[in-house]
Amino acid sequence: MARPNKRRIAVTGLGLVTPVGNDVDTTWSALLSGKSGSAPIASFDASGFSTTFGAEVKGFDPEAAIPNRKLLKYASKSHRFALAAATQALADAGMAPTDADSHRWGLSVGAGMLSVDYEDLKVVHRHAAADGTFNADGLMDPGFPGNPLAFCRWQANAGQALLTKQFGIRGYATSVHTACASGGQAIGTALKVMRRGQCDVMLAGGFDSMLNPLGISGFCLLGALSTDNDNPTGASRPFDLTRNGFVLGEGAGFLVLEDWGRAVARGAKIYAELAGDGNSLSAYRITDSPPDGNGPIQAIHQALGDAGITPGDVDYVNAHGTSTQMNDRSECAALKAVFADRIDEVRVSSTKSSMGHLIAAAGAVEAAVCCLAIRDGVAPVNANYGTPDPDCDVNLVVGQPVRMKIRAALSNSLGFGGSNSSLVFRNPEEVQA
Amino acid sequence: MSVSNDPIVFTGSGIVCGAGGSVAEVWGKLTTGETAVRPFTQFDPAKWPVQVASEVLLSDRDLVSDRKLHKTISRTDMFGIYAAEQALADSGLPAHRDALPETDQAAWNDRTGLIVGTGGGNYKSNYDYLPLMTEAEVSPDGALPHFGKELSNQVTPMWLLKNLPNNVLCHVGIRGQYKGTNACITNQCSSGILAVAEAACAITNDEADRIAAAGHDSPFEPEMVYYYHKLGLMSGAAPRPFDASRDGTVFGEGSAALVLERESEAKARGAKIIGEFLGFGCCNEATGIVDLADDGNGVSRAIEEAIGNAGISKEEVALICAHGNGNQASDRTEAMGILRVFGEAAPPVTAFKWCYGHLIAASGIADIVMALEVLKQGVLPGIATLDSVDPVIGAFPISRENRTVSGKVALVICRGFGGMNVVVVVRGRD
Repeated sequence: MARPNKRRIAVTGLGLVTPVGNDVDTTWSALLSGKSGSAPIASFDASGFSTTFGAEVKGFDPEAAIPNRKLLKYASKSHRFALAAATQALADAGMAPTDADSHRWGLSVGAGMLSVDYEDLKVVHRHAAADGTFNADGLMDPGFPGNPLAFCRWQANAGQALLTKQFGIRGYATSVHTACASGGQAIGTALKVMRRGQCDVMLAGGFDSMLNPLGISGFCLLGALSTDNDNPTGASRPFDLTRNGFVLGEGAGFLVLEDWGRAVARGAKIYAELAGDGNSLSAYRITDSPPDGNGPIQAIHQALGDAGITPGDVDYVNAHGTSTQMNDRSECAALKAVFADRIDEVRVSSTKSSMGHLIAAAGAVEAAVCCLAIRDGVAPVNANYGTPDPDCDVNLVVGQPVRMKIRAALSNSLGFGGSNSSLVFRNPEEVQA
Repeated sequence: MSVSNDPIVFTGSGIVCGAGGSVAEVWGKLTTGETAVRPFTQFDPAKWPVQVASEVLLSDRDLVSDRKLHKTISRTDMFGIYAAEQALADSGLPAHRDALPETDQAAWNDRTGLIVGTGGGNYKSNYDYLPLMTEAEVSPDGALPHFGKELSNQVTPMWLLKNLPNNVLCHVGIRGQYKGTNACITNQCSSGILAVAEAACAITNDEADRIAAAGHDSPFEPEMVYYYHKLGLMSGAAPRPFDASRDGTVFGEGSAALVLERESEAKARGAKIIGEFLGFGCCNEATGIVDLADDGNGVSRAIEEAIGNAGISKEEVALICAHGNGNQASDRTEAMGILRVFGEAAPPVTAFKWCYGHLIAASGIADIVMALEVLKQGVLPGIATLDSVDPVIGAFPISRENRTVSGKVALVICRGFGGMNVVVVVRGRD
């Protein structure tokens, strides 16, 4: 297939803070073996909630992980994960913006949706709603300790602002949010910005933390989380017949995207080519995508077309695979429609089986996983798989990671609200061939 | 991108804000010097240092006729759906689609995109939890365990869905069956203007054949007013952009939307062409969440990038719709940035926030919608609140009075938290 004349974009750095590890190597080795990051929630008393467990980031020390400590007072938990993962990614790429080129550097992030946390809301409650009804005049009470730092922290683009400041990025910068598709769409946006020549290097990723009382409340109310409170490590079981909801995770993932020629010229290590982006709207229901895969199918086809490859070139799919009944069925229908008679040759796994669902960060973290899978020639496992679901009969990686040459990998992210994102990564050996 | 031989044109526009629910209504206010900044009604202003805002006066029913939807969306989403559907109707695209053979409609829908800019989460949404917090505070079980246990008895199961930042995308998509490329931009003030720029780029890049771009926000709520005031960003009266006595901005609320497609397709279906997207620039100052660079370098870099991207010379710029939010530092550095690029030859400048307030995520796209009207009418509305230009700024081509403009190219500037500067260049069509 003739490749359109598009600027080629290399992935030259990765950074991860996830429930199974606070850096790339630790996360990757946990995902290969299917180690679970899910456990009873430790950061607050979740005993009353219908779900009492989640996949929390553990042992994270922001003071050690983030170079510019002055930014910490403005940084929420998810911003801290972002600053740490982005720092790792740039160190891995072995470069940083300079005065001479900072205007050619860009940033594109998928940011979480929360506007305040429970502790902030408690302050408002105490002063302006003690009886449960909000009265605006309470904010005018001289005793109201309104904290402008908290206000800054919860601005929709606060994470983006902290990242551009930390690294001195002066070109294009943006934040996107399409729920669970945010991270994928952020990376897709970066690809477009670079292809049209607006930046030469971009930091692209996602960050989120909804593992707090207000965040988990939204999902508990909706009944979207697994309630296997007596079995946290086995609760996320994408594509298993007995799956009963997702496991809420948190964290951040960042990729350094660089003009291919620039990366080659400086002798950078290239994980993969970020070759294609596709996105579509299911226009079906807020929480579900259609059982026949209409919506995700178009996103996958677009991404393959954008990459200039065919379904026959894809060896591994990092599935969205949330472990909810509807998502997994719809996604498998889409994969079967796209890969048709090749469906058994394509290995599929959802790494949410290990690290849970990182919401706005999920697509970015899973994009990084695709790059690692290509680099090492190994597909990570779909953990906790036991009972086959006839609607989800794709060729899952079960039990052990599979050693295999991956020519191209597909990463899907399908969000509440119906936004679907697919990304295609190609093996650099294929690109050079 | 803009030098492609098939220009990206605007074929529909929509707006709702304090100044009205249509382009014509807002234009009337802008050109008669009537501000829509008024004493606010959504909470009692008596004890507040700021008592004005530019509130949308339309009822929920006027905004979105489907009452079932009201339970599953928030106020800002109502504005977004209203403006996006107004722009789509104005473009004639839904009727065009419905007249196609049924077998062609699915493919048409797959090639129709939506790109929305939103302010993101708001404070009010969390107040649904306050009654439960009161009860939990005194519970013998402990506050959080009680909160968790009683949650589903006291708070709507739809809470999360009602507050998704991407609701306008979702519901305009479902209602119109648009299934193409999409994005929801949550870049504070820059969200709406970037939606327009990304829509144009997506069509140029052949990701879609037509896209509705929208921006919406409802920043006007007590906690936002409180914090903006505390940070020294809020005025007690209609903003006075670039005036010596300016003392802050005032919130508006609302939405604006534009439909973009290729000129060849617009002409083929006989659509009215409002104007043309020429190019844009987007430059960050890397100054953190609320701080600005002292020298306006982000503004001048974004203007230069936009002009270069548009493939025009700066002499072709006939007018500038500035961000002009009425804040001391923002207006001063914005004027510095404009003057650095244009010098003494700067074209006429105006700003609109004195009229409809600061729409935050919707502000930049609302300004584009009105800039296209300026080009159509050949009249540049004055800044009705202007008394005397800040001497710190120096000679600056702004006016209290309406002015006649003859050129066809307008530059729209939008600045935002996070050190953001976005500039869009549009051309009017006769």
